[in-house]
Parts: sequence; C-alpha cells; structure tokens
Amino acid sequence: MTSKRKKTFPTLLFLAALLLVSIVVALGIGAVSIPVSETIHILARSIPIGGRFLLPPTAVIIPSHRDILIELRLPRVLLAVLVGSSLSVSGATFQGLFKNPMADPHIIGVSAGAALGGTTALALGPRLRYFGLGAVPLFAFAGALLTVVLVYNMARVGGRAPIMSLLLAGIAVSSILQALVSLITYFSDGELQKIVFWMMGSLSGRGWEYLLLALPYSLASMAVIWVFARDLNAFLLGEEPALHLGIEVEAVKRYLLWAASMLTASAVATSGLIGFVGLVVPHVVRLLLGPDHRVLLPAVALTGGIFLVWVDILARTALPPLELPLGLLTSLVGGPFFIYLLRKRKHALY
Amino acid sequence: MGKVHLQIEGICCSYGAEPVLNGVEFIVERGGLLGILGPNGSGKTTLLKAISRTLKPHLGRVLLDDQDIYRINSIEVARQMAVVPQESHFDFPFTAREIVMMGRTPHLGRFQSESRHDWRVVEQALAFTNSSHLAERRITELSGGEKQRIAIARALAQEPEVLLLDEPTAFLDINHQTEILTIIRRLNKDYNLTVIMVLHDLNLASEYCDQIILLKEGQIYALGSPEEIITSTNINAVYGSKVLIRPHPLHRRPQVILLAKDQAQTKIAGGARVHVVGGGGMATSLLGELVQAGYKVTAGVLNIGDSDWEQAKILGVDTVEAAPFSPVTAENHRSNLDYIEKAQWVILAPIPFGEGNIYNLKALQTAARRGQRVVVIERIPIQERDYTDGKGLLEYRHLLKLGVIRVTGEGEVLRLLQREGQT
Repeated sequence: MTSKRKKTFPTLLFLAALLLVSIVVALGIGAVSIPVSETIHILARSIPIGGRFLLPPTAVIIPSHRDILIELRLPRVLLAVLVGSSLSVSGATFQGLFKNPMADPHIIGVSAGAALGGTTALALGPRLRYFGLGAVPLFAFAGALLTVVLVYNMARVGGRAPIMSLLLAGIAVSSILQALVSLITYFSDGELQKIVFWMMGSLSGRGWEYLLLALPYSLASMAVIWVFARDLNAFLLGEEPALHLGIEVEAVKRYLLWAASMLTASAVATSGLIGFVGLVVPHVVRLLLGPDHRVLLPAVALTGGIFLVWVDILARTALPPLELPLGLLTSLVGGPFFIYLLRKRKHALY
Repeated sequence: MGKVHLQIEGICCSYGAEPVLNGVEFIVERGGLLGILGPNGSGKTTLLKAISRTLKPHLGRVLLDDQDIYRINSIEVARQMAVVPQESHFDFPFTAREIVMMGRTPHLGRFQSESRHDWRVVEQALAFTNSSHLAERRITELSGGEKQRIAIARALAQEPEVLLLDEPTAFLDINHQTEILTIIRRLNKDYNLTVIMVLHDLNLASEYCDQIILLKEGQIYALGSPEEIITSTNINAVYGSKVLIRPHPLHRRPQVILLAKDQAQTKIAGGARVHVVGGGGMATSLLGELVQAGYKVTAGVLNIGDSDWEQAKILGVDTVEAAPFSPVTAENHRSNLDYIEKAQWVILAPIPFGEGNIYNLKALQTAARRGQRVVVIERIPIQERDYTDGKGLLEYRHLLKLGVIRVTGEGEVLRLLQREGQT
C-alpha cells in the first residue's frame, strides 16, 4: 500500500500533463494547421487578466487563427475533455455502486431517456431554440433526468432501492424507451439521417454554449462523487457490510445514483451516444492503479478526457473533409484495445 | 465481566406477513461468548440482523450499553460493534490490507486520510488473524479460509467491543473451521470482546461457546451452557432428529452423534423389546445395531466402566448396572430378571464367564424355561471363554438344552429378528 501510495501522485501528475499536451496538440490539428508555439501564444494571450504579459510578444499571431482556435476548436476540445471525463467517472461510479465491473454509464437507462428526448426534439423540427441552444440538448437532458426519477421510483420498496431492482428496472425502462426512439425514427423520414447521426455521437460544431450547459452539472456531480469515494470503496464489500461500517447506505446510494446519472445526462445531451468510454476507461485505470476510488476517480477523469480528445482528433482527420461519428470510433478504437488487455491479463480480468 | 453489555428486549421481526422472530429476549454480559443455534428457518440470521442494526424489529429493542441501537447513529454503532458476514465475495482486486483498512471507516472523517495509528491497528488485526503474510495479496485471489480471516481482521480494525458473526465457518473445511473459531475464542478470552455468533454445527458450538441459545420457530427454546443445551431431548425437540450425546474425549463438552433415520427398519422392529446380556465389549456393536434398527433395547448385568456399559450409556440403553469389577449381586440379578421378563427377545453375546457373572446364565435359563425366545451367539467356543473351572461350561450346556436359538455370529441376530418380526 505504501508503495502504491508513492506512485499514485506522480501518476496523477503525469496524466494531468498528458491531458494538457493533448489539448494543445488537438487545438493545432484541423483543416487549417496551427503550429504548437502559435497555439500556446494564442492561449496565453486569451487569458483575460495578465495573459498579455505571460509570454514575450515576439511570435506572429494570425488573427484568423485566433478566431478558429478560440471560437471553434477550443470549445470543442474542452467539451471532448468534459464528456470523456464525465462518461468515465459515471462508468466507474456505476461499476462500484452495482459491484459489477461490467456496468457502464448507460446501465440504468439514462442514455435511452436522453436519446428519446433528443429524438423527439429532432422530430419536432429545428426551429425551437432556448438560451442560444437547439432543443436537442435540452430535451435530451430532460429525458435523461426523467428516466432516473422513473427508474429509481420503480425500484424502490419502502425506502430502499435494492441494487438488483435498480438494474432490472433500468433494463426494462431502457428497452421501452429504445423502442419509442425507433418508432419516432421510423415515422420521421425527413429527419432520419440527422437522428441516426446524432445517436452515433459527435462533437461536430459544438460551441461554447454546449460546454457551458454541461460544465456546471458535470463538475458538481464529480465533486459529489469524489466526496463519497471512501463510501464507494465500502460498497464493494456489499451493502450490509457497508452499513456495518457506519455508512448510511440508502442515502449515499441515492446521491451517487443521481450524480452519476447527471454526468451521463450532460454528456449525452451535448454529444449524443458515445459508447465504450465509460466501460473501458475505468477498467484500464483500475488495472494500472488498483480499485481504490480515492485514486481511481481523479485518474479516470483525466484518462477519459485524454482518450476522447484523441478519438475526436481521429474523427476529424481520418477521412477529410468527412467527419466520422465519435461513438463509432470509440468502439472501433477501444474495443480491440480492451480485448488486447483481457487477453494479456487473463487471470485478472478486472 | 458480569456487566450487561447487550440486552435484547422482546424483539419481533417479520418478512411481510410471515413472523420470523417472536418475542426473543436475552442478555449478553460483557466478555460473553454466545452461540445461536437452531434449524434452518428458525430465525438465527434474522436475529443477528436485528442485533446488528440491519433489520429493524417492529417490536422490541436492542440495547448496547443501555442505548437503543436504533436511536444512536450508525457511525457510533459501527465504532462499538463489528459484523463478520457468512461469506465475502469480491469482484475488485483490492489488496487484503486495503480491505482491512476499510474497517477504519467509522473512525475516519470524510476527508481525513489514514494516520500512523490507523496503519498500526490494521497491522495488528492482520497479525492477530495470522494473515500478515497475505497483506499484499489481492483479495480476489485468496482462498475461502483466507478471505474469512481477512473479514475478521477488517472487523477487528473497527476496534469493536462486540463482534457478531453469521456462520463464520459455513463454507470452510474442518481445519479452517477450527482455526477461525480458535481466533474468535482467543479474542473473547484475551481481549474480553463480547462475541455473538450464529453457528450451524452443534459440536463446534458446544466446544467453543460459553452460552448457547437454541432457537425454534422464532422463539428461544432453551438458553444455557453447552452441557445444559446440547442434550438428546433438546436436539430431538428442536431438530426432530435422533442423536447420541457423548462427552468430547479432550474437553468433555457434549458432542452430538447423529443417528440416521431408517423408517423402513423402525417399522419392521415395531417397538419390540430386546434384552442383551453382554460384557467385556462383546456386545458393543450389537447394541448399536439394535438401537439403530429401532428396537427398544435393554442390557444387563454390566459392570460400570465396562466398554459395553459405556456403549449402553451413549446409546441411552436402559441397563442393569453392577459396581466396577464386582460380582453381580442378588439385587442385580432380580432387576435383570425383570428386564428379561419384559423383553420379546433375549440375546446372549459371546461373553467370557467368571465367578462374577455366572448369574447371567442362570437368568437366561429362567427365561428359556418360561418359553421366552433366547438367542445365543456361539462365535467363540465356550471352552475358550470359561474362567470358572467348568462351572460356567455346565450352566452354559444346560442352557443350550432348554431350547434356545443358536446362531454363529452377531450378523445373524438382526436378520433373525427382522425375519421373525415380519411374520
């Protein structure tokens, strides 16, 4: 344990550095290529207070580059970080909560609820707008949260919501909602392409407003989950043993369920359905750093961000000028890697 | 010692409309070691759940140091009371030491990290459960016995005053069963830890517990020391099984020997009485076989301390007893005749005859003359077991002339009785 604790901090520091490098690199890549040094200068100068004096003003900054970087690429890359982190932390939380390494952010039907909301918005037409946002993210967000309320209340038996009931209620509600999504898709031929594309997940054309929609919910949820990291460890002993360690199991379960669902909701609302991240990232990090949530959660957040930034780079650059759907790529890239890991460490799958 | 630590006041629990516990009441003193026994469905585990603040009883209270555990907060309870589950199942690769450290949870603030004291407590808990060498191993890779030791270490890391265990040895082999229970008893004796455990195994409970509660259908059937509780009458009443009780050769606590129930044989025996004349270990197996086959068996005259006498005691066989190494008295002889008279069958084992027990042959002659069915086992020639200078030989030959059934071995006796019993 002491040896493990020693290597924890450097690992987190390394991941944070890697995330920063990934962001800078991602900002430079695209139809218009921007050199790394220029990227750094543009970023430094954009810091509202004191940013102008951070670096010597020698480098040449092309104004259009500044616009592309700040207005187009930066929100998208940051959203990739946020969505990647949110899905991964959500996945790790559900895995701990359900004591099941195969749980993922979509397990209790949150995503199916978001999908139904998003699909409904698309089918109603693109005219609706609120707060500068299209109806899709707002409807998706609402759909996701309504689903949690529904599933939790279905599973509840006299003040308690047994894990198994939550799981079953989630599966049942999920399949009903997915059927409704299919139904809407079936009858809305004009919007079919859009709906299908949205469901595959994408960060294409997401501006600052998307980032600002998701950010408060995601950060608040991650903070809540972080607070209960030790409780989450105890949950892995089982609900009764956790209770005997003095943990108010039902209350903590409720907080964690809400926080993890909120993370999934804000990710799905802003970027559609992106699979596999929330399942694979916690696994990989657990293999490297062990299952202690106090270490696992921050590491998972950083790794999820890094992973999605790079997958998004791939999505933008693999087949220019086409953009590949992000959800397809996460599975295409993550799947084989996951299989490789499982084959390599047969004796310890998780 | 002596002070009341836990007080269970008339608790009633039910799952739905089905009552599981009905007015259970008892007291555990500080430093007590209490075992809860009872058949499946008698409410043992439910009782433990009620005491461990897992399942709130709808009536009654559980007082821990005079405080109702359902009225103080869960962390306060967790600092005083730890629970070891029947079996722990892990899907996540924590090290054993990390698992034990989780036991410190009730002593740590939400953002407080483990202090040197916490680590020391964890190391001590590991050492106490003979698990220090497992500390760095992954919990997922440990065997059942090792996992159970880690579960106990985790409970100890809570630094509790009360330890509750739910069948801690249910999934372990015999070697690990005694290892775990020895650890628990050491905690109880050396650290005055109050222990309550649900056990399935009557013999282990008898050996390790100071007090035993026998539960039947959600109520306490009996409560007391192992000697008071582990009796064939109690076991028969609660479990419905026929058992033999004998003291353990080392610690003298009562041990239970289960008798298989064979309804078909019991039916054939039909409650018939069989009197066995034995001694010197010559009737030991025969007594067992007859009891097992469902006959009402009596024996006599047997010297106290003789191995046949011991067997008769264990089997609960009514016996005419003579003083150790002493001849049969006239009074012994009379009671022997009384027993013989009531029996449908009288059996003479191939016993040696000395001056002391020659009376037994006289008793058999009386039976044969009355026309009772006397079976003589002639496995060993009479010449080889007569130590009376021919006196026994004469009486024996006289007996044979009175029309007894002669068989060559013990095996034939049961077959004979059963054949005759069916016709």
